[in-house]
Amino acid sequence: MKLVHKITLGNALGIVCIILVAVFSYHEFDLLLAKLRFVEIADSLNASFLKMRLSEKNYFLYKDREALKEIKEQLKESYSVIRGLQANIIRAIGKDNFRELKRDLNEYEKALELVEKFDLKDRSLESRAKAIREAGRRLRLFSERMIRIERESVNSIISASKRTLLTFFALVILAAITSSYMFFSRMFRNLRRIERTANAISRGNFVKIEGPIPNNELGSAMSAINSMCEELKTRHELLIQAKKLSSLGILTAGVAHELGNPLNNISMVAQTFIEVYDSLSDEEKIEYMETILKETQRIKEIVQNLLDFSRPKKRDFRASDINRLLRQSLRLVRNMLHVSKIKSRVELQEDIPLVMVDENKIQSVFVNIITNAIQAMSPGGTLTLRSRFDEQEDPDNVIIEIEDTGKGIPSEFISNIFDPFFSTKGTEGTGLGLSISYGIIKNHRGQIDVKSEVGVGTTFFIRLPAYKKEEVRDGKSENNGD
Amino acid sequence: MASPKIMVIDDENIVGKMLKVSFQREGYTVETFLHAEPALQRLSEEKFDIVITDLKMKDIDGMEVLKRIKKESPDTKVIMITAFASMDTSIEAFREKADDFFPKPIKIDELKSRVKKLLGD
Repeated sequence: MKLVHKITLGNALGIVCIILVAVFSYHEFDLLLAKLRFVEIADSLNASFLKMRLSEKNYFLYKDREALKEIKEQLKESYSVIRGLQANIIRAIGKDNFRELKRDLNEYEKALELVEKFDLKDRSLESRAKAIREAGRRLRLFSERMIRIERESVNSIISASKRTLLTFFALVILAAITSSYMFFSRMFRNLRRIERTANAISRGNFVKIEGPIPNNELGSAMSAINSMCEELKTRHELLIQAKKLSSLGILTAGVAHELGNPLNNISMVAQTFIEVYDSLSDEEKIEYMETILKETQRIKEIVQNLLDFSRPKKRDFRASDINRLLRQSLRLVRNMLHVSKIKSRVELQEDIPLVMVDENKIQSVFVNIITNAIQAMSPGGTLTLRSRFDEQEDPDNVIIEIEDTGKGIPSEFISNIFDPFFSTKGTEGTGLGLSISYGIIKNHRGQIDVKSEVGVGTTFFIRLPAYKKEEVRDGKSENNGD
Repeated sequence: MASPKIMVIDDENIVGKMLKVSFQREGYTVETFLHAEPALQRLSEEKFDIVITDLKMKDIDGMEVLKRIKKESPDTKVIMITAFASMDTSIEAFREKADDFFPKPIKIDELKSRVKKLLGD
């Protein structure tokens, strides 16, 4: 469900709740009003009945005929009240009670009529008086009972609606908190996934957002990030290729020189061979020719090396000798070293474990770091390549160090040097070399770190997992997703 | 007249070897070195007529060799050899008073006639 729909639904539910509360309250107040109105009616009826009974007493005590008239008026008034407000009264006290009220009134009226017909001196008046008194008392009792009942009912309605409203609000608040919590916690979880991926991408690690993609706006953002990631990865590959081509330019000069030596050797051997041919023994002639063959082999290797470096290749992991790769890389930059007047030192630990690597990529990392090192040094500097494996120091990784005696990296830049497009070389550098190298080492499940001191030099530490036979399959499958 | 003495400094083994074979046939005394330091050491012990040195070597720059020879024994003729056929290095080599400049691949006959010419002067 889309977030906008969820939010709308939440708001709609809130509005429905408010309407429900309003309808309920309206109904309750209406009922309360009816009850209160009835209490008023009952009060006035009660007052009428009281007057009737007072007049009744006057009649029997003082034999006042006027009092009978008053009783009749009060009775008439009571009838008119009951008739006029019949609906209200029935609603308040129910049909049965209403019928009882009317019966009591009728009885009182009949009793009154009987009293009227007799003379005050009649001896049977006492018994008649008794009947009317009894009916009057019942009427008063009834009205008092009604008032009491209605007051109680008003109280109970008020407290019930208080309770209902409180419960309802508590439920609404609880529901709001629970649903908000669920809504926001899921949203924040997804936002955190986006954040993690964005951070990884900024470090040059192009991983997609894994796991289920929600079907909402965040999901669309996630899909967009994933396709961006895909696109970045493609471009990144292109950049690596471009970067390689640019290093190729630097390398070509070196390679030309590399080729110059064996070509010169072949040429010289051939010239000398022709010159001294007559004085050579057969063995010597063969020796000359073998020298030529050896030099052509040397040329072949240089060319192959260059091709291996420049050609985009499928991932090709194999157990490799890191020392050989370091030496090859050094050979590729020999010309640069010479031009920049940089001395090189190689301290490679022999019988070091093999590493499972894509040789081309690892070599491009070495060449890149060495090239940076050379550019950072002034003539007379020293480049040192080291390799070692020490069970005590790190039982899983082979450690490679590339150290220069260059100007060093200021500490404020250290944390940025692996960021794409970060360069301290101004317009000279693309700022991609180290970020690409970082990505390559990460893809090998390795680690690349740097230590630097301004004015002293910089050392790059590369750790690559030492190759153990039983890990071959794992290593290959895990590294499939470049 | 004693045979002229030639020193060849080149980190490519074959260069020294072939020049030795070829120049010895012409009656020269030839000594070859793969590294500059022992060569300079040798030069301080004995005078050579001609030094043929590579411009670009692993341990020391051929230009440095040239400077030191010209400083310590100005009479010794120096021929620079390089695969590095760039204008800048040639100009620098001449400024440092190299007596000749030879690109690789070396044409041995030409080198021989240059040597002869330098010694004849």
